[in-house]
Amino acid sequence: MQQHWPSPVISQGPNQSESRGSRWLRPKKGRPEAKPGSVTGAARAGQRSRRRRLPLRAALAVISGRAAGALSRRLHLGGGTSIVGLVAQRLYPDIIRHLATQLEHGSVLVTGTNGKTTTSGFLAAILRDAGLRVWRNREGANLLRGVAGALVVRALPSGNLRRGGQAISVFEIDEAVMPQAVRLLEPRAAVFVNLFRDQLDRYGEVESVAALWRQMVKGLPETTTLVLNADDPTTASLGELARGPVLYFGLEDLTLDLSGQGGQGTAGTYQAVDSRSCVRCGSDYRYSARFYSHMGHYQCPHCGLERPAPTVRALQVRQDTFDRLRVTVETPTQLGEIVIPLPGLYNVYNALAAIAVAQALGISWEPIVSGIEQFKPAFGRGERVQVAGRTLRLLLAKNPTGLNEVLRTLFSEGTPRHILFVLNDNIADGRDVSWIWDVDFERAQGLTASLTVAGTRAFDLALRLKYAGFAPEEMTIIPSTPLRALEELTGSQARGRKGRGRGRARHQLQQHQAVAAKTGPKVSAAAEEGATSLGETATPFPGYGLATALEQAIEQTPVGETLFIVPTYTGLLELHRELERRGLTPHYWEGQD
Amino acid sequence: MHGRNEARLTLTLGHLYPDQLNLYGDRGNILTLKRRCELRGIELRVVGLGIGDALAPDEYDLLFIGGGQDKEQAPVAQDLFETKGIGLWAAIEDDMPVLAVCGGYQLLAHYYRPAEGPDMKGLGVFDAWTVHKGPRTPRCIGDVVISWNGMTVVGFENHGGRTYLGTARPLGKVLKGHGNNAEDGTEGAVYRNAYGTYLHGSLLPKNPHFADYLIGLALQRKYGLRRLTNLSMPPGEIFNGSTPAQLTPADDPTTLLRPLDDHLEWQAHAAILERLGLYEEAVAALRRAEAA
Repeated sequence: MQQHWPSPVISQGPNQSESRGSRWLRPKKGRPEAKPGSVTGAARAGQRSRRRRLPLRAALAVISGRAAGALSRRLHLGGGTSIVGLVAQRLYPDIIRHLATQLEHGSVLVTGTNGKTTTSGFLAAILRDAGLRVWRNREGANLLRGVAGALVVRALPSGNLRRGGQAISVFEIDEAVMPQAVRLLEPRAAVFVNLFRDQLDRYGEVESVAALWRQMVKGLPETTTLVLNADDPTTASLGELARGPVLYFGLEDLTLDLSGQGGQGTAGTYQAVDSRSCVRCGSDYRYSARFYSHMGHYQCPHCGLERPAPTVRALQVRQDTFDRLRVTVETPTQLGEIVIPLPGLYNVYNALAAIAVAQALGISWEPIVSGIEQFKPAFGRGERVQVAGRTLRLLLAKNPTGLNEVLRTLFSEGTPRHILFVLNDNIADGRDVSWIWDVDFERAQGLTASLTVAGTRAFDLALRLKYAGFAPEEMTIIPSTPLRALEELTGSQARGRKGRGRGRARHQLQQHQAVAAKTGPKVSAAAEEGATSLGETATPFPGYGLATALEQAIEQTPVGETLFIVPTYTGLLELHRELERRGLTPHYWEGQD
Repeated sequence: MHGRNEARLTLTLGHLYPDQLNLYGDRGNILTLKRRCELRGIELRVVGLGIGDALAPDEYDLLFIGGGQDKEQAPVAQDLFETKGIGLWAAIEDDMPVLAVCGGYQLLAHYYRPAEGPDMKGLGVFDAWTVHKGPRTPRCIGDVVISWNGMTVVGFENHGGRTYLGTARPLGKVLKGHGNNAEDGTEGAVYRNAYGTYLHGSLLPKNPHFADYLIGLALQRKYGLRRLTNLSMPPGEIFNGSTPAQLTPADDPTTLLRPLDDHLEWQAHAAILERLGLYEEAVAALRRAEAA
């Protein structure tokens, strides 16, 4: 099997005309079918692109797309650039390729289960500091129409890009859409941050995404640098298939090893491990160090496959404060300290990925440091919002590993936190919420100063928390919609409940706080007590909907303190709209880029 | 307060392939069984049985097997057949309660026939078989409700294979969702006290009646009704108000167990029913919580 030890820094000139010129000569091959969840038009787009390119058509596509976008904003139908891309792609299926060729510095694509947005954010900040004009797709608009939209809004009515000079695009791409995106954009670098279990009903099993990626990597041109996470076995194994250069990044700080602290299955350190067996021979990996989930230093005892030695390495990670991580980073050309202004070990990986790409693009060290250290987190990735004297911090968590890491970040210091969980099961979240049972909520038990549970699946989450040792009385449960059957059973209370419930919730909260203050972490006793007092716990809900939940959670957080909001994806969008309605965040179509 | 050692009831749960078959929140089922036992002063020990571990039927009172990725299912199928098969058969013939979810359910039927490649051999506990009809056939995904013993059981299903029953009895009738094969309205399979089902989500947390049913079966099987009456523990600790001596073995084993406060469980259960339009059933579910 071919071995690709990472070459030192790959510096390619900014001019990519060579690769761009050759793209039309590329043999037609390995075109997998459109995958569920992807834009089905994309497969067709590729076919039609064999026709001649029509500048006129591009112009029409740009104009119509932008008109549709303007109309959509005007009518307040939503702010995504997706509608722009959708319309433009309809009129000219090859619009992405047409516009992307005009970017002077080409494109970088970022994919993976967790950390796409933050990694591409870090990278964009670095590249901006290096003096480039960076164009990104909007967070969440990571299907092809989002990419098309991001390019079209920067195009002139002539069908050409506005100011393509000094421009580079950094796109975050949905895992399943990556094959089409790679074909259309022929990126200079493709970054694979990690692969975890996520939305089984949409992507299928982790293995089916991995198979898709393997197929795609085999077809990548030699001009594309692969940037891979060495500590994630499935992601790292893509390197063996690449024809072009490969760069790995990884953690080397062995003090972060979890396996010495109990490891798999022990109460309190439960890890959701999504890749367990060797990609080559199927035996279970052995870990000499495990950082979280299946991330770590692994080796296959059977065939000898092992973690590749990373080129961009974090030698030491120290937590200064909740969201200041001091990381010693070593690259082939540099050894230095970088402060990451975000919480969580997963953000160290995100930063390393961005550093690796920057090095591959030949960016010098100063913009790398400044880009990361002055990074402003995207909405929902640790961003701060001030509301009525409280600080809200939003930490998106959409799958077991993501949520486990958020909980670890929040509760590892033993500080009690005010928490609002939002669990939705809309299509973009994944309809199946059974993954919450693989999340280590036990670690939060006794550490919540207040706890509000909301979303379309609020009851499921509340139940999960109950089984993690929280008493139902400790939680304020605010489902998205009323439970009508309960209203009927409890009879006339339906109308008056809202007000009464609120008062009661407050009362309960005070009680709970008093109890918590006295007894500390002895919540399990309270839970048992709660379980024996029948009838009393027929929780009346203090209203419905996320707006009410947010209000409640804020109310339960004393002035000057921080409320941590942990939503799933559509929960985050809903919160964004709610905060926007109150004038607390910018409209998302007027974002930073 | 439950701490009198000589009276403490103990059950041992064998969790088959906890590392390989753990895809759909199967941990929730284990946590539920454990907690519902503990709240009644019953100790539930959980023993993981991985690939290569033998299954000695007399060491366990309850078995659980979950679902996993296809890639990880093949070595499991082989181990189940070669290493654990005899022990598992013996346990099931001896009326041990077994819960098999999703992939585990498929492994306990005759075979799984993938769209391509050779059949995966199952244990044949259930007279049933599973066929994957290829990528053109949509997966069965979504909330699902079945009627079981005159009550509702709710869950989430996500399976590509269609399971067809031979002589096996179904676990329940599909009220909403797909069930075994989206054709005949059956869901799951039952053989003696072995229950196979596609319902996860997790299954047991939102279906406390089914969880208690399994615990009750295990208690009944291990201790027998006579043994239970002789225990020095005050009956109210574990049992319902009625003295167990008055019960016949044919009775619902859950009546052995002291009811718990399951308001939240039934609300979560009812919320699923209601969103699927089963309003009357939702009211009935909430009434169960009040009746307890």
